[in-house]
Amino acid sequence: VLREAAKNLRRLGSLAALGLGLSIVPASAEELTEAYIEEPTPPGIQVLLTELDGPVFATEQGKTIYEWPSHKLRNGYSGETQGNPACYDEVLTETAGLMSPYPPGIILPELDSRPSCTDLWPPLYADDGAEPVGEWSIVERKDGTRQWAYDEQPLYTSAKDRQPGDVIGGSTRRYGGDSPAWRVPIGPAPLVPPGFAVRSTSNGRLLTTEKNESVYVFDEDTAVSSNCHEACASTWQPILAPQLARAKGEWTLLERSPGVRQWVYRGKPLYTYANDTRSWSLQGSDVPGWSNVYTQKAPPWPEGFTVQSTIAGTVLADANGMTLYTYRCGDDSADQLSCEHPDDTQVYRIAMCGGDADTCRKTWKYVEAGDAEAGTSRSWQVIEIDPDSGHFASPEDEDALRVWAYRDRPIYTYAADEQPGDVHGAGTGEWRGQRNGLKAIWLRDDYMGGTL
Amino acid sequence: MKRSPATKAGFPALLTTLAVATGAGVMAHADDAGIPPIAPVDGRIGYVMTDLFWAVYQTDDASEECPNGFNSGPREQFEALYPEGTRRTVLDTQLRQEHETWHPGSKAEGFEFHEVEGEKSWGLNLDGEVSNNDFVHPDGTPGIDNEVYRAVGCIIGFRGPDGVEYIFQNKAIADRPYNRTMVEITGVDSLENDDEVTVTLYRGRDRLLTDASGSTVMAGGSQRIDTRWGRRLIRQTTGRIEDSVLTTEPIPEVVIPWMNLNVPSIQIIRDFRLQLELSPTGAEGIVAGYADVESYYKQLIRNDSTHHLSNGQISGISLSKALRRLADAYPHPETGENTAISTALDVRLAQVFIVNDGGTPVEQERISQIIEANQQEPAETR
Repeated sequence: VLREAAKNLRRLGSLAALGLGLSIVPASAEELTEAYIEEPTPPGIQVLLTELDGPVFATEQGKTIYEWPSHKLRNGYSGETQGNPACYDEVLTETAGLMSPYPPGIILPELDSRPSCTDLWPPLYADDGAEPVGEWSIVERKDGTRQWAYDEQPLYTSAKDRQPGDVIGGSTRRYGGDSPAWRVPIGPAPLVPPGFAVRSTSNGRLLTTEKNESVYVFDEDTAVSSNCHEACASTWQPILAPQLARAKGEWTLLERSPGVRQWVYRGKPLYTYANDTRSWSLQGSDVPGWSNVYTQKAPPWPEGFTVQSTIAGTVLADANGMTLYTYRCGDDSADQLSCEHPDDTQVYRIAMCGGDADTCRKTWKYVEAGDAEAGTSRSWQVIEIDPDSGHFASPEDEDALRVWAYRDRPIYTYAADEQPGDVHGAGTGEWRGQRNGLKAIWLRDDYMGGTL
Repeated sequence: MKRSPATKAGFPALLTTLAVATGAGVMAHADDAGIPPIAPVDGRIGYVMTDLFWAVYQTDDASEECPNGFNSGPREQFEALYPEGTRRTVLDTQLRQEHETWHPGSKAEGFEFHEVEGEKSWGLNLDGEVSNNDFVHPDGTPGIDNEVYRAVGCIIGFRGPDGVEYIFQNKAIADRPYNRTMVEITGVDSLENDDEVTVTLYRGRDRLLTDASGSTVMAGGSQRIDTRWGRRLIRQTTGRIEDSVLTTEPIPEVVIPWMNLNVPSIQIIRDFRLQLELSPTGAEGIVAGYADVESYYKQLIRNDSTHHLSNGQISGISLSKALRRLADAYPHPETGENTAISTALDVRLAQVFIVNDGGTPVEQERISQIIEANQQEPAETR
């Protein structure tokens, strides 16, 4: 049945598959999505287009595929090195002591319901007859079973992903050195010429050079003509193509002068901005007529949400202008399990937001959805939460709250924010909000480049 | 204003360095050779902050100010509360401590807290009074109000030259454009003496001008005013210059953007005033006023996780209680608990050309409107 369903998914195309039988609004088919470089994959492996992370590899059943890269923490490493699976079915009971100042050996919470690593991250097993192909290889687990790997990194799916195209388990967004060793979805390389790169941000998949310089387009340009010359071209520097470059897909070439060719993407010549002061900058978009370039935009946030200017940049805010936050949490076990999702243990969140559910509802306030409001995309949904436990509410729970969620996790406002533009909750919690605390949803981060 | 290097674990000798830089921004200046003082061009001179940290009076062996030693930090307290060999759970140990750090209660934490016991402190007499609770300035001036020093002076992370806060919070001032506080003085007839000048605080938008090493800030750089995200930071007051020392009238409330580790945190200083020794190439002195207790504490713990606090032996739990206990101004209208604590910060600034984008009359008018909108009502009774 599953195989037949998968065939149907492929027949419908991955974009349509995003909306199959779901109560959410799928990404519009008209929205531009990121093209990718096709590559050989094992039988059954497909590529799905996701809202936030672009094209990802998925199983035949549509489950997004993740890797668990090695990540340096304060007292050692977690994650997996190439060729060495470290996620198994043993339920860990003690901390690993990877984050100082705490020693290892502290008993983890809620052991009676604690999942094992593989409960949450089922390995992507390889059939007995499976053969390596392209970047895909097979590693042997310690029990002798065979697991698919990509670029030698062992591969998994996420128990949290429910629908084809979900990336609830993890994100390709950049994360800091004190963050947990997150799982990261993998996908084919974006279809960009050498010298370009694409990075996931809160605004979409940002096109940059390989040096992380932002790429811009000019309203007054066309695919065959540039209106930026002389002084303009000193400030906005055309991205030149090498002699052997050839047009492909959405990428074409503009001959600015004999023998000097400029890259063109989706009908617009590309530039970098000499006045950008940092990587992944959005500063050039402040200049009228100029815009950053995204291979695909992030889905629009719910109607009624607002954009607010703060002391440190621009944030997403609720209808009253109050800054919105996501909660980030990972435990200190060797498995580095998440504690930020409603399915996860809530003891970390409760400890940080006030110590009990009532206090937490006042300090980190759920963003309740109106009765008539519904999810607007795969990323922005309305979920029902049991405010006492912090878990998803059961269908019969009359006290359930309908709250806004981003990536299946509730979003919050922060009680100490008194007026629009306040961002006092950002970095609240352990490790500047990276391991047990709040992160603002930044839309411009000029003072903290790279946190978008 | 002059401080003895022997007793002041101060910043690197910035002014010495700046003295060899160009005298940009002024046509000439008085020096020991007796050149008469000449006003800055257009009576205007700007400075950008390069160093800022809480003023801590230190003796070499700390015996004067901390006769009972230094305070313990999270690591020491964790081991004392939850000894190795006992049953330790995340919920009852780590999360309990972290909860108490972020939501400090009024109950005693069970550890003796060593406040500063010496008589001397840097700072100003903020309230114009001399009381038994005040410190004496090392130059003998009585009535110095600096209860932040009383709270943090015996915590090694706040002490120079190698306390973790002392190093990193100050380093961030120069490193992070978010922290780019600027002081512009206008209406200046002379950098040596002027009865009345106008002092405006802005945030700059640009990196600092440094020498080839990248670490030594030079005079003569330029900074654009941040009127987009920094408009809430713009303040204006008046002041006077006497013997090259600028003393400002208090500003009811100043927000100092102070990001250490990528967290957009702030300090709120009420009754904010500056006392700066000016030169054509830089300024040095103190910021003083009453720090909002909540903002003071949150600026610390938002930037610094338990790990960082441990490196400085800074128990957030203990310090938060001390700050509240020692707070000495701005009582809460309902609870009566003081919400602000007297303080002084060592500050250094480098001369800089402050640039309005375009410098147009329209832009200047826009800034004037921001200044007017940001002027606060007179401070409530301390």
